[in-house]
Amino acid sequence: MSEEERKVMVVPCSGIGKTYGTVSREAAYEVVEDTRSGTTDLVALSLLVLGDEDARAAVRAHPAVTIDGCKLGCAAKMVQECGGRVARGIAVLDVYRRNRELKPQGIAELNEGGILLAHAVAEEIAAVVDDVLAGVEGQTHA
Amino acid sequence: MPELPGRKVGIVACSGEELAEGTVTRLAALKVLEQLRPGETVTICLPLFLAGGEGDRAFARFYPTIAVDGCDKRCAARATEQFSGKPAASVVVTDLLAEHGLYRPLGARRLDAAGRQAVEVTADRVAGLVDELLGERWDRRRGSFVGAAPQAAAQGGCACASAIPVQTVDVDGRAVAIAALPLIFEQFRGAGKAPSAEVAKELLETVLIYNDVAAGTDDELAAALAREYAAFCGQELART
Repeated sequence: MSEEERKVMVVPCSGIGKTYGTVSREAAYEVVEDTRSGTTDLVALSLLVLGDEDARAAVRAHPAVTIDGCKLGCAAKMVQECGGRVARGIAVLDVYRRNRELKPQGIAELNEGGILLAHAVAEEIAAVVDDVLAGVEGQTHA
Repeated sequence: MPELPGRKVGIVACSGEELAEGTVTRLAALKVLEQLRPGETVTICLPLFLAGGEGDRAFARFYPTIAVDGCDKRCAARATEQFSGKPAASVVVTDLLAEHGLYRPLGARRLDAAGRQAVEVTADRVAGLVDELLGERWDRRRGSFVGAAPQAAAQGGCACASAIPVQTVDVDGRAVAIAALPLIFEQFRGAGKAPSAEVAKELLETVLIYNDVAAGTDDELAAALAREYAAFCGQELART
């Protein structure tokens, strides 16, 4: 399997009015730019909403990790709507509940708690990416 | 007393996470919402047009809306028009930068200096459009301006709590979704209006300000509103 085929799509929500949306985006950037840059790609939700063929093809061809900032779950819903497979949907609020000391504040710019919470979310995403890719590899060699 | 959604301008940013220009749209929209025109603007997350409910999809009919896009794919403008209503005005960051002779921004995650300048320019343009749009009369039934559209259209608070509450009522056997009805009921009850034939007529007039209801005749709709309002008042009375 080629490197391009062994990728996981990371889809953060486009939350604009609440701090959890910003956390979801920051976590996604941390994964695709820093910790799993070779094995993940970012998919913009606005492209899925509009029906962009490249974006839809990406989530159909690869498993996706979605990150949602609120209970409406736009990212997970949109990936499913486009025929993609959500390997795991992460809710920022759930991660916060497990890390109460990391209280996020700020929308345009996160406070320290928000940055640390984004890091915690990013670690969960990275773990899922590793699991998914290990699973794919396992199937390939089976 | 609860208020019906007031006179505000909606802002929908593409927020495209893969491009620096997408980040510019989001930060510019936030600057307008929080700093430049905080009492006069409201926003909604673009995906809610699909992932949300009727109230979310009513957004661009209720508020004259400015779509702010990062690139010429114009996801915000096109998706708003497709799923909610035609934006009253449109801004594309790449066009705006070309118009001002500014450098292309870099850094979707952390904007560079050019990106921060792009945020300022974009926010100023959007704030100017907000002022222009507030000077026009908006028809919430049609989701368009009364009379000719302003020049701006050609050139084209929390924020996420912008959904218009919708209630579905049975009008002569047909389920009809009526935007803002829960707020209208609350407002009428808060004004001490008890259910009556006269109040049903008033309800009908108010509902028709915000809705273009095709189903049934006015009499049938008025009867449905009278029934629902009586039920609403009964529930409220039981609660107190």
